[in-house]
Amino acid sequence: MKLSKIIDECRLEKIVFCTDCEVETGYCGDLMSDVMAHAEPECIWITIQAHKNSIAVALIKDIKSIVFTNNVTVEKEVIEKAKEEKINLLRTNKDSFTVCGEIYCLMEAETAKD
Amino acid sequence: MSANYSKEKLTLVNELIYQIKVKEAMSKKVIFFKENTTFREIQLKLKEKKISGVPILNNVKNIIGIVSIDDVITAFDKGYVDNKITDYMSRDVITIPQNISVVSAIHKLERFGVGRLPVTESSDSKRIVGVITLSDILNRLLVVVQSIAEKVEDKEIKNTQISHDLIKSISKKPLRFEVRGDDFDNAGRVASITKKYFQNLGISKDIIRRIAIVCYEAEMNICLHSLGGSITIQVNDNNAVIYAHDKGPGIPDVELALKPGFTTASEKIRALGFGAGMGLPNIKHYADKLEIKSSLKTGTELKAIINLGVKNEIK
Repeated sequence: MKLSKIIDECRLEKIVFCTDCEVETGYCGDLMSDVMAHAEPECIWITIQAHKNSIAVALIKDIKSIVFTNNVTVEKEVIEKAKEEKINLLRTNKDSFTVCGEIYCLMEAETAKD
Repeated sequence: MSANYSKEKLTLVNELIYQIKVKEAMSKKVIFFKENTTFREIQLKLKEKKISGVPILNNVKNIIGIVSIDDVITAFDKGYVDNKITDYMSRDVITIPQNISVVSAIHKLERFGVGRLPVTESSDSKRIVGVITLSDILNRLLVVVQSIAEKVEDKEIKNTQISHDLIKSISKKPLRFEVRGDDFDNAGRVASITKKYFQNLGISKDIIRRIAIVCYEAEMNICLHSLGGSITIQVNDNNAVIYAHDKGPGIPDVELALKPGFTTASEKIRALGFGAGMGLPNIKHYADKLEIKSSLKTGTELKAIINLGVKNEIK
């Protein structure tokens, strides 16, 4: 499903929005090595870790979109780095559990339509 | 090819039918008749060519009418099949100019319920230069889609072909990075640079990802747990070797360190999402071969080998 649809439906704040893309799967995790090992390429990553290393992990894993939950502060240099590497950064005041649930339901509904 | 095709799914086709011009899709060989023909002559031609209608043209190939199979049947029915068509043919002919996109042709064919449209030289001309049917449009569409598919295929082949020349030049000059201990701001830099570098070599995406993951974890280990060190990446014909050296303090029990979940990281490090005890297990998982030598006196030496071109999917 389109990232833009997820953003609209879950009312995510766009911090950096480079390009719309297809999202087929997601991963939720705050441990870098865990995300390194298990996230799938092109997935949407839900995390509370809003630091420069998150961008590096996304870059290495070909993750195009990150959702920061719990309204965490995103530093300017993280935003700059994301822009540079063309990674979409989104934010929500909801917690990871809630936003994962919402995105999961959206994706399920989309698959059911097919 | 009707207006009922699923619009959501066929965006490429949608785009293409706007791009393709009638003149690219039409058949240029036009079977036509002049006015002084009988319905029977036309009927024989329709049967022979298996077509459903013919345009009637004058001496300069301007269209003056059309005779369809329906008109022929009516002629049989009413008993004037051996008469000249002049008095009976439909003069109200629906045509389409050649420089318009085929989407207009599709709409016209549907709106008037006809199987073919004579194509005129331009919108204000009656000179016929071709005939277009739905199957002409479909054929053209397939040709265009095929050529797009071939281009994509070519690109993929290019993308996955390993450039041996580049690899040769790199094997002479390995990549080398200094990594400082406790330098979180720059952590992940080696892996990012290495990944970009390898993308130019045309190595498959999966292999690059594995190299990047191994680099990242090795880099993080030096940054999190050591006094600093370096990472060297050496590419050979068949494999990439990642060396990570640090100045200490060394791993007391390498086997224990390789156990998933084992960590010596501080609370501060763990709050940032590092030190989950998965670094070395990840390296072990993604490398084809891993050697670790560690001494409490001289530090740790890690050597991870990843075979190039071996298609080991990332799980």
